This record gives sequence, C-alpha cells and structure tokens, in this order.
Amino acid sequence: MKSFVNVNPKSLDEAVAVLDRARAQGKKAALAGGGSDLLGMLKDHLVQPDLVVNLKSISGLEGVHREGERVRIGALTTLDEIARHPLLVERYAALAQAAGLAASPQIRNVGTLGGNVNQRPWCHYFRQGFPCFKNGGKMCYAVAGENQFHALFGGGPAFIVHPSDTAPALVALEAEFKVMGPSGAKIIPAEKYFILPREDVLRENVLGENEILAEVILPAAPSGLRSTYLKIRDRQAWDHAIVSIGAALEWEGGRCRKARLVLGGVAPIPWRVPNAERLLEGKSLGEALARQVAEAALAGAQPLAKNGYKVPLAKATVRRAVLSLLPAA
Amino acid sequence: MASEMRSIGKPTPRIDARERVTGQARYTGDVQLPGMLYARVLRSPYPHARIVRIDVSKAKAMPGVHAILTKENCRIQWSSGDSRNKRLLFNDPVRFVGDAVAAVAASDRHTAEEALQQIVMEYEELPFVLDMEQALAPGAPEIHPGGNLSPNNEGERAPETDQRGDVERGFAEADQVFEDVYISKHHNNAQMEPRVSVAQWEGSRLTVWASTQGISNCRRDLAKDLGLPLNQVRVICQYMGGGFGNKNQCHDFDLMASALAKETGRPVKLEFTRAEDFVAVHGRWPTKQYYKVGVKKDGSLTAIRMKAYSGMGPYRKGSGGVAGAQLYRCPNVKTEVYPVYTNMAVSANYRAPSYPQGVFGIESLMDHIAHTLGINPLDFRLKNMTEKYHDEVPYSSYGLRDCVTRGAEALGWRQKWHPPASDRGAQKQGVGMAMGYFGAGLGMSSAVLKLNPDGSLQVHVAVTDIGTAAKTTMGLLGAEAMEIPFERVSVLSGDTDRAPYSVGESGSRTTNYTGYAVVTAAEDLKRQLRELAAQSWSVAADAVQYSQGAVYMQDRPDRRTAIAEILKGNPDGLIAQATTDPKLKGVSRNSFAAHFVELEVDTETGDIRILKYVAAHDSGRILNPLTAGSQVKGGVAQGVSMALREELLYDQMTGIPLNPGYYGARIVTHGDVPDVEVIFVETADPYGPYGAKSVGEPPIVPSVAAIANAVFNATGIRIKELPITRSKILDAAPGVRLEGGRA
Repeated sequence: MKSFVNVNPKSLDEAVAVLDRARAQGKKAALAGGGSDLLGMLKDHLVQPDLVVNLKSISGLEGVHREGERVRIGALTTLDEIARHPLLVERYAALAQAAGLAASPQIRNVGTLGGNVNQRPWCHYFRQGFPCFKNGGKMCYAVAGENQFHALFGGGPAFIVHPSDTAPALVALEAEFKVMGPSGAKIIPAEKYFILPREDVLRENVLGENEILAEVILPAAPSGLRSTYLKIRDRQAWDHAIVSIGAALEWEGGRCRKARLVLGGVAPIPWRVPNAERLLEGKSLGEALARQVAEAALAGAQPLAKNGYKVPLAKATVRRAVLSLLPAA
Repeated sequence: MASEMRSIGKPTPRIDARERVTGQARYTGDVQLPGMLYARVLRSPYPHARIVRIDVSKAKAMPGVHAILTKENCRIQWSSGDSRNKRLLFNDPVRFVGDAVAAVAASDRHTAEEALQQIVMEYEELPFVLDMEQALAPGAPEIHPGGNLSPNNEGERAPETDQRGDVERGFAEADQVFEDVYISKHHNNAQMEPRVSVAQWEGSRLTVWASTQGISNCRRDLAKDLGLPLNQVRVICQYMGGGFGNKNQCHDFDLMASALAKETGRPVKLEFTRAEDFVAVHGRWPTKQYYKVGVKKDGSLTAIRMKAYSGMGPYRKGSGGVAGAQLYRCPNVKTEVYPVYTNMAVSANYRAPSYPQGVFGIESLMDHIAHTLGINPLDFRLKNMTEKYHDEVPYSSYGLRDCVTRGAEALGWRQKWHPPASDRGAQKQGVGMAMGYFGAGLGMSSAVLKLNPDGSLQVHVAVTDIGTAAKTTMGLLGAEAMEIPFERVSVLSGDTDRAPYSVGESGSRTTNYTGYAVVTAAEDLKRQLRELAAQSWSVAADAVQYSQGAVYMQDRPDRRTAIAEILKGNPDGLIAQATTDPKLKGVSRNSFAAHFVELEVDTETGDIRILKYVAAHDSGRILNPLTAGSQVKGGVAQGVSMALREELLYDQMTGIPLNPGYYGARIVTHGDVPDVEVIFVETADPYGPYGAKSVGEPPIVPSVAAIANAVFNATGIRIKELPITRSKILDAAPGVRLEGGRA
C-alpha cells in the first residue's frame, strides 16, 4: 500500500475540519471505522489516500440509544452489537437480521454500521482494479463480461449492485441518517442518501468528501409493524447478497396499512418497489396476492446476459418475505 | 493379525497437534532471520505479450531496495515449472495474467511493493486464447512454437490414448448409444498457507525454508536449476499448511528467493498474497469431455468412447489426464485426452488431479443411462462396476462392491430413491451416488531409524506432513513394528540434513513408500537386537526372539531382557536404514470409494442443502481412524465446493481472472459443509504396510458426481457443466413442474 498519514481526531468537528482542510489542499482522505474493508482496499491499491482519519478516536459514535420512541445508533456501532441488541431484535427486526447476516462473524465483530452502509461495491471488475467507471475509467466491463452478479434495475453507466445488507433494511424502516459537515449536522432520509451511477458514477451516496455519517436514527416503530430481512447468498458466511429484501409491513385489523419493500443485490442502490407496496396496502395477504406483489416488484427488470436468474430468484424472495410477515392470527 | 495390533487401528491424535493449535509450530512464514530482506513479484497484466522495454532504474534508486531481478539479469530455468518447454523464472513473451516479470528484494515488504510500482515494463500485446478447443483451431495464437497441443511423453503432438477392444464394434452391438458432453472448470487448490520461501546462503551453501510437499524433490530441483551439488543445498519444512498438490517439487518462489539472497548477500523471504496464490501458481485443469457409450437393453455396456480436452494453461506442469472410464466393466473402451496450452492460469496437480472432473463426467452419464433405461442407478452400478483393472488384471485388494452396498444401506438408498423430481412443491429432495477409485502404486523411499540405549525410538524421514498426519503415521508404524508404545517414538522430519530421501507427499503414497521403509528398517533393528543378544548369550541368532521391547530365548519366553539391558554399554544405540522399492506382481493396486448424498433443492431460489452424506472407502487397513476420517471429511468439503461453487472466472475480453481469493471464489465455509458419515471397508492389502492403501486423494473423487446425481434425482435437471450454480438451477427450473415430474 501507499504510505499515508494517520489522523486521530478527538471530535466529529475536528474530523470534519481535517477532511475540509485535506480537500482544500487537494489531498485525498479516507475514513476508517472498523477498517475491515478499508484495509483490504488500501492493500489492493483501490484507494490511495494521503491521510486516513481514524473515527475510533472519537468518543460517542458507538452504541444503540433510546430517545423517546426513537432509536439512535452511532455509526461506529458494530454489526454484531446491532444483530444482538434486544430492542432492535424486537422492534426493528429487519435491521437486526440484516446486520447478523452481513459478512462473517469476524467482520461483524469489527465492522460498523456506518462502514456497512457506505461500503464500496464488490463488483469483481471494480475490486480487481479494472479501469472501470467506478475506478475513474470510461467503461463498465460487466456489460459485455461476467455480469451474473450485476444489476437488474437502475444500471448505467455502471451496473454494480449496492453491497450493503443493512441499507435495504434501513430504507424499509424509514431510517434517517445524520451527516456531519462543515456547516453542522443535517438529516437525510435513508432513501435519499443513496444515489444512482447516472447521478455520480464515482459515489454510491450523497456523502461529500468533507462529510461524515455520524448516526442512524430509527423512527418510532408504529403499532402493527413487522419487518424482516431475507438474504439469498451462496454460502453461509462471508457472502454479499445475490438478492435480498428489507421488508416492513404495518398491520391493522388483518389488513396491511402500509408497506415498504426494498430490494438488495438488484440495483446500484437499495431498490424500493412502490408499485408492489401499493398492491399490499389496504389488503389482507394471501398466497395469490404475494405472487402479484412479487411480479410487480420485478416488473421492468432489465437483466444482462448472465443475471436473468435473479428475476425469478427475487420474485421468490419478495413473496417469501411478505408471507413471513403475516400478522399472528 | 489384527488382534495383535498395538498402535495401528486406534484413533490417535496428531503427534504435533498441540504445537499446531498453540502457535508453537514454526511454519515457513514464521521464519525470521537477522538482516532478512522481503521480496515481492511483479506480474504480467496481459495474458499474452512481448516485453519491449524494461527500466528498473527508478525502483533501484529507492531507499531500501536491494536487488531487482528481471529477464535481463536472471536467466534461471525453472525446470519443474514445465516438463515440455524451457520455462524461465521470468519469461518473454509472458503467457498468462500473473506470469512473473520481476522480483524485488527490499528492507521491508511495503518498500518492495512500492518498488514494483516504479518498475517500467512496456509490453506489446499478442493475441491470446482462453478456450481449449479454440486453442486447437486453425489460426489460433501459438503459445509455444509448434502449436497448442502439448506433446506427450514421447514428444509427439498426439493425444494421450488408452484403448482396449474395438469401440466401433461395441457401438454396432449396442441396442442404444448415448452421446453427451461434460465440462469442468479451473479452480484453485486454496490451501490455507500461502506460498512462502526463505533463502539463506552461508558461503556456497544454500538453505531454503520452503513450504513444500517434498523436501527431497525440492532440494533436487533447486540443486539442478541453480547448478549446485546436492550437498550444498538444504531444504527445511518442519510444519506446512497444506498444498493439495500445488506445492510439489521446487517452485519459482524458492528459486527467486535463492537468487535474490545470492544477489544481496542477505537472507530473503518471499511470500505470495492470496490473490497471487490463486492465479500465479496452479489449480485443477478444466476439461471438456465428449462421451459416446453403447449399452444393451439389459444395461450391460458394449462400448465407452471419450474424447476430452484439458486446459493446461501455458506451461505443462501436470498430466492433463481425465480418469473415470476405468470404473466400468466394458469390453471396448477408447479414451483420448488432448492436453492443450491456453493463456489461462497454469493447471496442474490438485488432489486426485485427473479424477473428480472425469468421474463427474462418466458417473453423470452412467446415471443418465440408468435413468433412461429405467434401471435404479444403484443396480446399474452393481451390474457394471469394475472388478478387475481393465477387466483382466486383478486388484491387489478389492472393496468397491462393499463400499457401494454398505454406503447405500447407510444412506437408506432403497427407501429414499425415487424417480427424478417426485416431490411436489418447490423444495425437492433427492439422492445421488457415485463411485470412485484412485491408483497409487508403490515406490521408493528411505527411512533411518535410531534405537536409543533407553529403548526410545527416533524415526528419521523426510516427510513434511501436508495435513495428512503423515508424521503421526510414521510414528505409529515405527511403534507398531518395534512393538513399543507410540509415546516412545519421536519423528524427526522436514529437514534434508537429517533425513534420507522421501518421495514427497504427493500421489497419496507416503504411507506406502516411506511408511514401508520405516517398517523395513524396524525389522532390521529387531534383527540387530537379536544378534546382539545371541552374541552375549553365545547362542545362534535364530534362537533369540523379539517381542514388545525385549528379547528372550525361544524356549524361555518368560525370561525377557529389555532393550535397555541389551544396549547397555552401547551409547549410540542402534541405527538401521531401509530403502524399499517393492514391485506389484501381476496385480493392480487401487483405493476405492462410493459416496451417497441426500439433498434438497429449492427450485425457486436454487439453494442446495445437503441433508445426509455417506462416504464409504476401501483404503485397505486403516492405520489411524481419526486422521483417516479427517481426510475423507476434508475431501468431501472440497468436493462440495467444486460441485457447487468454484470457478476461476475470466474476463473474456482482457483475459484477466476476476475472482481470485477465498471471497471471490466462494469456497465453502464450515456452515456449507455437511456432516459426513465415514465408512471404512477395511481390506487387507498384501502390499501396503500392515495392509494399508491410499486414503489422501480418493475422498474428493466421487463427491462431485454424487452431488450432481442427487440434484438430478431431486429436480430432473441434469447439470452438465460445473459448478452447479444457483443460476444454472434457476435457468433450468421453469421446465420443472412444481407438482413433480418434468414438464
């Protein structure tokens, strides 16, 4: 790896100032949370920062905190803690399940929520250092290449899929992200946080070079909320989702009051499927409706040469997820 | 005889288990020497290119950089890197992405790595070819002069051919003829310990700490390639972390470390990254197998013809064989294998190199034939399985039929087998089976045994123990032969300066070769003890008997004299050496196996869940059931991974491999591997020590085919191209009716 300067800021404000100064000087900075992915990317020369800002030196960025009916989760909270946290397991199951299914036990012990949300793509071409769009180049090699793991929706010019497990769950749970920047804190709804390659092919989210994701805020869990995260993966540990879904349904009197269905592994961002959500709202759920919802969720999918199998796979995933959320009779 | 066994046949933990799990074991990567430099290798980013300019001046000027080797200042030939062509450490043209072009030694690893970035290496790209059949087509880029069909042992450009009977006559006699194509992919050995070597010169004497499967051969090759007498080369490997066939002989990194150490006058450590390990060394050769099989209505075979292509990458390190057809009794058989050069990663030995891919082909096809003829696949095999090698040479011991029947019983085959895709609903269960065999002969190795005056025994052997527990086995054999407790035996291994020649841990033959030498040397020690006693008792040697660490007069078995007593006044104890080279007489010697799998396929998600796995093996007498069982379980894990997951993907446009490493290759994890019920069908082989045959490689042989056949039985989908991925299941699934049976 290229030599870099390690910075240990004591506060978020200091960290932001460091980032801001680096940007003004034309230097590249990288944020280190758990570092489980950053270290590999440094070694593979995929990122070559002049300085690494170590967020672990800032206190108060960890932990799950109740605040009234809301829950605040520090960006440095480990995936393992989220997966086991009783409040999250009980009220925000989709998030706890997503965190518990991410990566491997070792990575969950050090990997953070912020790192998982902001994770760079795991496209083979990107990770092998091809001069692709994501690496600052001028083409997406997957289009005519090995695209079995690539996007069905929202592709172009890059066809990566967003690698995060927690992101679809957070969008489904209507979480908000607290981002610290030079002008203070701002709150961004999870759904607005992620951006498509056609908006900016070098980034997967709105986070600026001088901004830090500090906290994730979960709104009060409405009555009748049931949520889940279902992940299809090739092996039982250390695998990104081939296809996944964060699903949150609110039930009232046996009918679905509100639905949020967000697919993972099919698009460059967590992919919400509003047409499928609307089919559920106001209805009681059965096998036939679940199939219609699944069809609607995948309507408009544009498979590449080798990822057509994801269409029936995602349909099955959607159907099973929503059926698993049927309220107790 | 079995009742007399003291050490053999009992589950014995590894002799070095404590050292390994407590971190005391010093692996090659742990070796640190004063003043040691660290080396890194620059590799070609192109699959086929000529080097037009090299400029190392900027890299060489970097502080901490001690030496840089390229083709311009290093012409060392890596002789075991290619058995057909002259392969240098640094080749021009480069012939695959990952071909080495430079090596740097620096004060630390990061400096070495930064120096690589500063080396200017300009290339002129050449056309390349990845596909084996395309490589043989007219006009294909020539990877070596003379074309892309790799020459056979006689230097002829001809396929490797094996033939008996007349296949055309066989097809004419058949009631039905089946033709099919099966494809397997390149995948990596993926052993835990990456490639690493530490080289140190003391005067004109070279010591290499290697990570090798055979210190003797590594020493031989180093001496040959560096032009040194054998007594000037020492190779040490006390503990090694696996290889599965890709650490045989000496490797380019051993030679590079040695050359850099020579150049700098300092010890040099060269360690590959995981990604380098996956692309720059070798994996299993991919194959494309065309079959034509003739059968009678009653299911008997009249002819088997196979024409297969094996992709060897650009250098010929392995045989390229495609084994499997020998499983079946058949009067007319012809197999032709074309080993082909391509610009993919090099292919060579990986656990049972020729077998699992060939057995996947033949056992899938036989399963298909049984299904088509309406014969239960178990009965089809019981009817047609081999009983003599090539239908004429008897086996030295034969347990295949028992493997099949006992394995079937343990799985519950008769209760569980059903016509394909019988289950209603999306989750479909099925069972599959496949047979396997593995041919490991006998051969030459040496052992030196030292019996100390206190009666303890030292076994000096050149084994390295690549995970097979070979050190433990050598100790057990010494203990058994000397009839003393295992705790009284120590094994001194892994150092060419203190052990005689051993063939190396490849070909599943350490027990047969080196173990045989241990037993033979022990017989000599017992003879020496009897003679010493006879001298001191002034009787004829044949009047003295030995048992359990003591000698006695034949007619007075109650008056025993212990070894320590006999060796009193003999401070050096006794030394015996044996070099054995037993030959098979009129027999063929094989290990056998039959694997049985029950699994469930989710036809909506493509998930495959193994519910039960039975592995029945004839490996002769089992010397250590604990470690032999581990061999079977490990082989099954690799088989599951090969069947369902692994493939080194290539970008076809650039010829660059896309997914090297544990993550990208999606190698199975603990959570993906089933519990394996291991059955040993213990035949007593007359050739192996105490009746043993090979157990190391056979476990991966039938595994892939058994899983593929179970997928067929569950779903009615016959996947003919490995790996059996989710996408292949789902692409075929629309043809499967959820109510059961094919649409």
